[in-house]
Amino acid sequence: MKEERALELIAASLATLDDNERFTQDDVILENVILLGVESPLDSIEFVGFVTDLEERISVEADKDLYLVVNEIEQFNINELNLTAATLAKHIIKLVDES
Amino acid sequence: MVITGTSKGMGRAVAEYFVTQGYLVVGCSRGPSTITSEGYHHSQVDVSDEQQVRSWVRTIKNNFGGIDVLICNAGSVQSALLMTLTPGDVLQTFLNTHIAGSYFVCREVSKVMIRKKYGRIITVSSLGVPMHLEGSSAYSATKSAIIEMTKILAKELAPVGITCNVFSPALFMTEAAQSMGQDWAERLLEKQTIKRTVTVAEICNVISFYISPESSPITGQVINMGLVS
Repeated sequence: MKEERALELIAASLATLDDNERFTQDDVILENVILLGVESPLDSIEFVGFVTDLEERISVEADKDLYLVVNEIEQFNINELNLTAATLAKHIIKLVDES
Repeated sequence: MVITGTSKGMGRAVAEYFVTQGYLVVGCSRGPSTITSEGYHHSQVDVSDEQQVRSWVRTIKNNFGGIDVLICNAGSVQSALLMTLTPGDVLQTFLNTHIAGSYFVCREVSKVMIRKKYGRIITVSSLGVPMHLEGSSAYSATKSAIIEMTKILAKELAPVGITCNVFSPALFMTEAAQSMGQDWAERLLEKQTIKRTVTVAEICNVISFYISPESSPITGQVINMGLVS
């Protein structure tokens, strides 16, 4: 999977959230969007809904059951929450390619 | 409606009851199904296995489109022992089945419910908790943890319209309860305020109350059947 495709899947999942205009405006640079952390526009419950939707999209794409486990993401320190879309995209690529 | 621990005991009785009420019931146990009714679907799942639970819940979501009600019932009963005599493996069994099992099932089902912004989660505790029942240190400690977990989950999920409640059944005569002996059952009944066993209809009445549309403001509550605590 290429990074561009991983980011498309992330964008598609963000688009399913209520008030998704936060992420679909022209000036939003998706790679830099903070998905989890104090500066994230997503609250905790929104993040869960986002991840659940994204897991399904990744599983369809890979044609196998895949799960996103936050503390398995390299470059993500659970004690300093700051998960960007770019970091998550890299993890998705690794997850799909190694599955 | 999803119910865990449906191969025997209260889980099986509750599953059969709600099938007769017209619910589509999806159940699981570590062994094969013991329910043959139409409207019941079974999977063999060890609820203390995180990966099995994830896979099972995703399959339910894909096959049935969502989950409205979860009755997190799977549990374990073993002969009562004073704490000073309780082996570590007994404690571990309760930790795995009651705490890890309930945690994994509630967590995965919650994810499905969050997307629909609706759900009813019911967990099963025990009168052993408010009774501080001798010989149940490991069992009751883990059943107490289920109450705490459910209350926290109730607060976390309230913003998305999901309620989480607990009930503790009075003595219900299952194979497991019978295996504990008549003396044990009589001593337990003596400690209850209402000194009789309960029926499956009475248990399901509590569940029906929790899942009714009018119970949407009822969350984080514990109903102890047959006991003033």
